[in-house]
Amino acid sequence: MTLTRTRPDAPAARPVDPRRLLRLARLDMTLLWRNRTALFGVVGLPAFFAVMLLVSDGNGHQSAGVPAVLYTGTGDLAFFLLPAVFMNLVSVFTARREELTLKRLRSGPLSDAEALGGSVLGATALYLAQSAVIVVIIATALDGGLPADPVLMLLGMLLGAVVFALLAMALSGVTPTVEMAQLTVIPVLLVSMLGSGFMFPLEEAPVGVRAVAQVMPLTPAVEIARTAYLGRDFTVDGDHGALGLVETWTACVPALLTLAAWIVVGAWLARRYFRWEPRRG
Amino acid sequence: MAKDKIVEVAGLHQRYGDFEAVRGISFEVREGELFALLGTNGAGKTTTMETVEGFRPASAGTVRVLGRDPHRERRAVRSHVGIMLQEGGLFPDLTVAETVDLWRDIVPGARPRDEVLEQVVLADRADVRARQLSGGQKRRLDLALAIVARPRVLFLDEPTTGMDPEARRTTWHTVRGLVADGTTVLLTTHYLEEAEQLADRLAIMHQGTVRVAGTVAEVLAGHGDRISFRIPPQAAVAELPRPHGAEPQVSAGGGGPVATYTLTGPPTGPGVQRALRELLDWADDRRLELAGLEARSASLEDVFLRVAGHPAVEEAHR
Repeated sequence: MTLTRTRPDAPAARPVDPRRLLRLARLDMTLLWRNRTALFGVVGLPAFFAVMLLVSDGNGHQSAGVPAVLYTGTGDLAFFLLPAVFMNLVSVFTARREELTLKRLRSGPLSDAEALGGSVLGATALYLAQSAVIVVIIATALDGGLPADPVLMLLGMLLGAVVFALLAMALSGVTPTVEMAQLTVIPVLLVSMLGSGFMFPLEEAPVGVRAVAQVMPLTPAVEIARTAYLGRDFTVDGDHGALGLVETWTACVPALLTLAAWIVVGAWLARRYFRWEPRRG
Repeated sequence: MAKDKIVEVAGLHQRYGDFEAVRGISFEVREGELFALLGTNGAGKTTTMETVEGFRPASAGTVRVLGRDPHRERRAVRSHVGIMLQEGGLFPDLTVAETVDLWRDIVPGARPRDEVLEQVVLADRADVRARQLSGGQKRRLDLALAIVARPRVLFLDEPTTGMDPEARRTTWHTVRGLVADGTTVLLTTHYLEEAEQLADRLAIMHQGTVRVAGTVAEVLAGHGDRISFRIPPQAAVAELPRPHGAEPQVSAGGGGPVATYTLTGPPTGPGVQRALRELLDWADDRRLELAGLEARSASLEDVFLRVAGHPAVEEAHR
């Protein structure tokens, strides 16, 4: 019998090396650029929403007491989690599992966290870049100013990216092929479009619907993005009143906790359903 | 623990649900040697390989690579190991050069790209995307990734499957070069010639167990030299001689029934010569002609077929 010994000369195994993570994120950008179908999905939908903001500007519509374009624009900052992070990563993880590149990446010295984290980092960077475009549109074309609380806004966006990356891992595990990924994302996409308040205010919805909508994963991300950007209470039950710095954070505590809860749920689902290799047989 | 044991597998069992793919195998690979696991499809080679590579924990038994548990201490082991999976896993939209560069960026101590591509004879395909490579070229690119970091140990799972004979020879040449440079190699194959050409030692697996193991000479020994001829029409099977007590096995041949003697004993011993003399004397005495007379030493194929090819026949003989 051989006993396992720790050797002093063993390389300190860091679970995540930032240099490798960046290299893998860059790989994802290269591959996305070369895969026009995927590129259209990841960039096309956000581009459509950005253009919609510009053409709808000045139509005089109001949502929840602010111009509808500002309402939707600040909602986009959270909604882009869907195309850039969630749908993108479901496709990436499913395709790589089936073409065995995930297994191949794992056959080298990469840790599991690195093999997946590079893609998550790339997708998050893409999401932040798309959101930056929206911020520019809001600040210039829509005359909506800059984010009132950029730190809180960014925190909400990053927590949202973690939630949807974990959900993408889980969903990829039950998605048999990359073509099927177009379909399996639809339920989450629909719930997020209709039930998150990113475009259609939830104020008018029946209490029961509102209660359910409030615990959906995109809703807290929308609440935080809009509230932090506009500096007014745009949580689902909020009164849209102006908030000070501390009040903004206090108003968003329930939403932050909901995101934290989704991280726990997402991590559990990812552990349960994510697969590194295709099913045998 | 002896220092020179690079891979140690002891009493390994591997189950998938109710199916036991590997049923208690043991072998070891010593420093600087090439060890081949031979077997038909489904013999348990790849399951064994993936366990040694650290992709899955053993259901029972122990596996050590460089003295460590390859599953629990995956990262520590992996930095000394190069792996070529049975199925590639190349990014179809990256070129050959980009693929190697990606690996060079994520493994420590990588070698220059051109040197690696030279070694696997892909230098002239550097700008071709992986999806456009032939099957054999994909395998060679996969080999390039496995050796980019100058690993001490190389695991090659069916490295030449799907290659034409020339590409196979090229790959053998590459692998021989790696062994000559001191790399320890564990490979699986179902090509007997590959094992004969490359292996210092080998094990033949069948239905999840190791049936025969040793150096090529050791494996061949005991499987004996063969003498065969067409049975003359004038002679009855019962009259055939038994040189050194070897029983003739009669099988149907193109020009009539064929008698085959399998002579056990050392492969280079005097057995064949003596047995032949006995047979020829017997034929001369009776003025018989032994058409198609043939004497040859045992080949891996004989051993392989006996172990894996006709298990039912094997068991019926016992």
